[in-house]
Amino acid sequence: MQPFSYQSPRTADEAVAAFGRAGPGASYIAGGTSLYDVMKLDIVRPRHLIDVTGIGGLDRIETGGDRLRFGALVPMSAAAADRVVLRDYPVLAESLWKAASQQLRNMATVGGNLLQRTRCLYFRNGTGNPSAVGSYPCNKRAPGTGCAAIGGLDRGQAVLGQSGSCTAVSPGDWPVALVAMDASVELLGPAGTRSLPIADLYRLPGDTPQLEFTLAPGEMITAITVPKTPAGRRSTYHKIRDRESYAFALASAAVALDMDGDRVRAARIALGGVATKPWRAAAAEAMLAGRQLDADLALAAGRAALAGARAGTHNGFKIELGARTVADALIIAAGRTA
Amino acid sequence: MPAQLPAGQAPAAPFADRARFDARDKVLGRTHFTADVALPGMLYAMTVPATIAKGRLTAVSTDAAMAVPGVVRVLTAADFAPPKPPPAGAQGPAAAPATPTIVPAIGYRGAPVAMVLAESIEAAIEGAEAIRASYAPAPASTPLITSPGATREAAEPVEAGNAARAMRRAATVVEVEYESPAQHHNPIEMLSTTAVWQGGRLTIYEATQGAQMVKANVAKAVAIDPATIDVRSSYVGGGFGQKGAAQRQTALVARAAMLTGRPVKLVLPRGQVFHNATFRPLSRHKVKLGADAAGRMIAVEYDADHQQSREGQFPPEYHEAQTQMYGIADYHGTTANVRIDTQAPGYMRAPHPHPASFAFEGAVDELAEKLGRDPVAFRLQHDAVADPVTGKPLSSRFLNDCIREGARRFGWDRRDPRPGATRLADGTQVGWGVGCGAYPSITTANIATLRVSADGTTRLALSGHEMGQGIRTVIAAALLRAIDIDADKLDIRIGDTSVVPQHITAGSWGTASALPAVEAVAAKMTAAMAELLAGRTVTGNLHRRLAAAKRPFLEVEATQLAPGQQPAALAGLRAAGFALTGPAYPDFTTFSYIAHFAEVHVEPRTRRVRVPRVVSIADCGRVVSPRTAESQVRGGVVWAIGSALREETEVDPRYGGWLNNDLADYVVPVNADIGAIEVGFIDRPDPLLNAVGAKGLGEVAMVGAAAAVANAVHHATGRRLRRMPIRIEHLL
Amino acid sequence: MDSEDTTIDTGVPDAGAHPVSRRSTLGGGAALALLPLAGTEAASAAAPAPLAAAPPDPGQRLLLSTKVNRRDVRVEIDARTSLLDLLRERLGLTGAKKGCDHGQCGACTVHLDGRRVASCLTLAAKTNGREVLTIEGLADGDRLHPMQQAFIDHDALQCGYCTPGQIMAAVALVKEGNATSPARIREYMSGNICRCGAYVGIVAAIEDAAAAMRSGGAA
Repeated sequence: MQPFSYQSPRTADEAVAAFGRAGPGASYIAGGTSLYDVMKLDIVRPRHLIDVTGIGGLDRIETGGDRLRFGALVPMSAAAADRVVLRDYPVLAESLWKAASQQLRNMATVGGNLLQRTRCLYFRNGTGNPSAVGSYPCNKRAPGTGCAAIGGLDRGQAVLGQSGSCTAVSPGDWPVALVAMDASVELLGPAGTRSLPIADLYRLPGDTPQLEFTLAPGEMITAITVPKTPAGRRSTYHKIRDRESYAFALASAAVALDMDGDRVRAARIALGGVATKPWRAAAAEAMLAGRQLDADLALAAGRAALAGARAGTHNGFKIELGARTVADALIIAAGRTA
Repeated sequence: MPAQLPAGQAPAAPFADRARFDARDKVLGRTHFTADVALPGMLYAMTVPATIAKGRLTAVSTDAAMAVPGVVRVLTAADFAPPKPPPAGAQGPAAAPATPTIVPAIGYRGAPVAMVLAESIEAAIEGAEAIRASYAPAPASTPLITSPGATREAAEPVEAGNAARAMRRAATVVEVEYESPAQHHNPIEMLSTTAVWQGGRLTIYEATQGAQMVKANVAKAVAIDPATIDVRSSYVGGGFGQKGAAQRQTALVARAAMLTGRPVKLVLPRGQVFHNATFRPLSRHKVKLGADAAGRMIAVEYDADHQQSREGQFPPEYHEAQTQMYGIADYHGTTANVRIDTQAPGYMRAPHPHPASFAFEGAVDELAEKLGRDPVAFRLQHDAVADPVTGKPLSSRFLNDCIREGARRFGWDRRDPRPGATRLADGTQVGWGVGCGAYPSITTANIATLRVSADGTTRLALSGHEMGQGIRTVIAAALLRAIDIDADKLDIRIGDTSVVPQHITAGSWGTASALPAVEAVAAKMTAAMAELLAGRTVTGNLHRRLAAAKRPFLEVEATQLAPGQQPAALAGLRAAGFALTGPAYPDFTTFSYIAHFAEVHVEPRTRRVRVPRVVSIADCGRVVSPRTAESQVRGGVVWAIGSALREETEVDPRYGGWLNNDLADYVVPVNADIGAIEVGFIDRPDPLLNAVGAKGLGEVAMVGAAAAVANAVHHATGRRLRRMPIRIEHLL
Repeated sequence: MDSEDTTIDTGVPDAGAHPVSRRSTLGGGAALALLPLAGTEAASAAAPAPLAAAPPDPGQRLLLSTKVNRRDVRVEIDARTSLLDLLRERLGLTGAKKGCDHGQCGACTVHLDGRRVASCLTLAAKTNGREVLTIEGLADGDRLHPMQQAFIDHDALQCGYCTPGQIMAAVALVKEGNATSPARIREYMSGNICRCGAYVGIVAAIEDAAAAMRSGGAA
């Protein structure tokens, strides 16, 4: 790891100003569970770390009014334990507590988690450094060097949204749930504040997999807002992985249902573990609108959610698994009381 | 005609349940593992891993590394002379060539090409990142057992009777192929070495299962007199066989200490551990089992092979625990190494019996099914009294008791035999499976010294290494039962070459090899005490009696040989730390046994496999420490669940090396993966192996349990899966 | 506080220039970055905890002021230093263990301001003005915490290497209110890998200790 300077500003404006002064190689750090990890792997070499976790006033959860509002610095564990979130938006609570471990959830922030880096093994373990012994071409890590995952051991790679340059899966759970719930992020940067639908935060890899987020240089996330909806109560985050806990998703589904008896008025479905960014399944949602939900329809919706998915060499099972995960999530959500 | 064994003894009183000897220090965080040792002036080392899988290191540029503040020195191949050859007439590990140091030939990705020494960990890592190595990669490498360029080498076959002839008589045959993947030990403690060179002596702290092996290896690798080396391994944070091999890094750290005159500490990062330590090789098992018209198994033809490195010596002895499992007199077993380009594989918990039993217990299950027989009743029908290969009688075998007791506790008689027939209300498929295992009981010679002091302290030194199996606990239990001393001031000195010679502790032989020596040295102490007191009656424990006799301490030594061992074995122990024998002894052969029963639940649509309960009943002879023995079996079952459902180290053949070389992507079981594990023991002493009657436990604990899980998956789903790990995609 | 930030500013190099000569920072004053003391009295607290031998050669150095096991600690650190390496290599607190260095095993678990964290992925700098509790600070002298006793009683350990992290996680788990059922305990302890496989004993120990902690055992 290269040396860096470190500062811990007390206000968001100070942080943005410090970023500007620091010049190239500046990076915000929140919990550090992703950034410090990839720094140890020598994937990124920031010269100046600006620790935002000392900034006051960004760690509140507000549940009054017509929106839920999470300050960006709320720890994931705190958001997962909030009584309103647990009762009225299980999809959000589950997407939080099913991620990582409680130790990491105590450190990681809800804002920082939106920017977590991929777990693709060729990205992570390919710098040839003492901690990551492999040496693999990776367009995301080193643009233009190629993609070792394509044609490789790609069991964990994406079946949706991939390109000829990159097939890395977007790793998060919380972003998937937020995408399903039409959340927005509030940003502060050198040019001031702006708000962004969360789905617009993420880029497809295309020819530029090294560009993952639409943040401008120096922009930091200050809050996440989620419009309130009664559908929140009939929701779930269903996560299928290679072990029962402490693992990333093979396939996951965030589902929230606005129901009239057993008829679906409107469905929200987003996919994790299978795509290069949090994936809203609009076609599946449309299929469900106005219809009576049963096991067969749930599975059909799941298949619709994965329509257009393309398999690599070893990850074709994710298409079927993803469809079934959506199906099970729909049944679980429908079974919850409004 | 095998010799008649004495009738099984009635069980004597079980040993008392006692807390683990070192538990208090461990829960306080006071136990010192190798990386916890701090020495003044210590330098931190970091090795630089090769980024090619095969070829030559042509140049290493160290200038940038030396410019990093805090970096003191960079060791390269130029700092290492060729090693000493093994001494003439050496046996066992002493006969092995030294581990390579830093050499231009690269045999596997991750091999060390340089080592940076610095004043801090951060500087050492930064320095290591700044090393620039150039390579001449080999034009091709052979990364997989199936790659062209793999060289097949037949190894020792195993033969009993005439299997081909017996197979021709068979009325029912199954012929199946099973595969066990490459897996890594991954103890939580990473490979750690600290070396100090002072006054012409080298002291090495290393987390190892073989302190003397380390000493012998370093002496050869850096060409110094082994008499100038002490190795200390007082606590190992998990071994499982990984730390029973000589590690490549040790000589590097030793040399660094010698060149700088300062203590040097290296903790190898997890990714480098994957690439440098030994591992369980991928193995393939073709099993043909034949039963006669009466449904009795009468013939085995079993071909086993495994991936091997170009120079590796880990033998493909997959038949070692299978030949005597079911009383089948006609057994033909072949073995082979398939040499490819990888680091050397080695011994990983139940190295041969675990993968072999996965195949064999699967084949037995398949044969039972073909015969329409219940798999438990089928196994019970096949008890054995001798090993057909050697003809030697089994000194003790209570496998059928294990099976019956396990079946009873599990509720096996409620099992609906039809695969796929048992479901929960939500559609979850339920399966019940059985798998049995055996593990050879090997014994080593031992030398023990015991000093009891008037000040209340006691020091017992003998050969052994504590890696969590609880060897200190069994030693303490045996000692405290034999002599009256203060248990709180008992120091058990093992893993330390400066006190007594240290045999490698592995192969489940630690307890059985230590206990007789403990009893012998305790008996000598009792005799010496009686002589000292010369008929006087003095009350109180031994410390009090010494005080009354105005004697500061009494020290005795005892040696112990395994059955059939000649006294020359002690010389082998002293000289080379090697003196083992078994499971075949002159007049008998000895195995430990276990029966596992597993229940699996398979999700209806997303096909996750859960193991809510396992029942395991073991025959390990006399149980000396019930609490730690139960933990060993639970640990073995967790390992088997990991092997059956989670673990595989994967190779991308375009690059070689291991792709999933960290603890997130090499999937070991977490707490939420594990349900109830009920453990029971037959606890009947083996009458012949040693006076205590104890056999090994740490590895038999695992054998057969993976098959129980796989057989349960078959019972749940009707799908017969013959390759570990069983994953969601195999059941979708 | 502002003056400290100014000090940081003057130390920041231009893009592309060689970083401030690290050898010149030793005793150089101006480029030695000070962590803001957040208005605490930590600087004037009583006797600092004992430190290890002379600090390593300078990189980007920070003066850290923290509290470990109820004792004040002031120490100069490399900004890259993890809390785990600070505890183990500088403060002689080797109870927390390195099992992976990437937050994947939990052996490094300690408490930061009363919450369990992975110290290998925590920049030591982040502990400025905060409180760290390690396994060494859990017992009351030689009186074991109920969780430690329960681990002994249920043999919730074997090699002992992951044990300090397990115990720190377990104590936090109970205080979080997560010891409500065996299934919940298993889930919330899944961030602590035990390769020896002592999970069954660990769950039993936590159930046992949780009862003792609720009925007035040590906090």
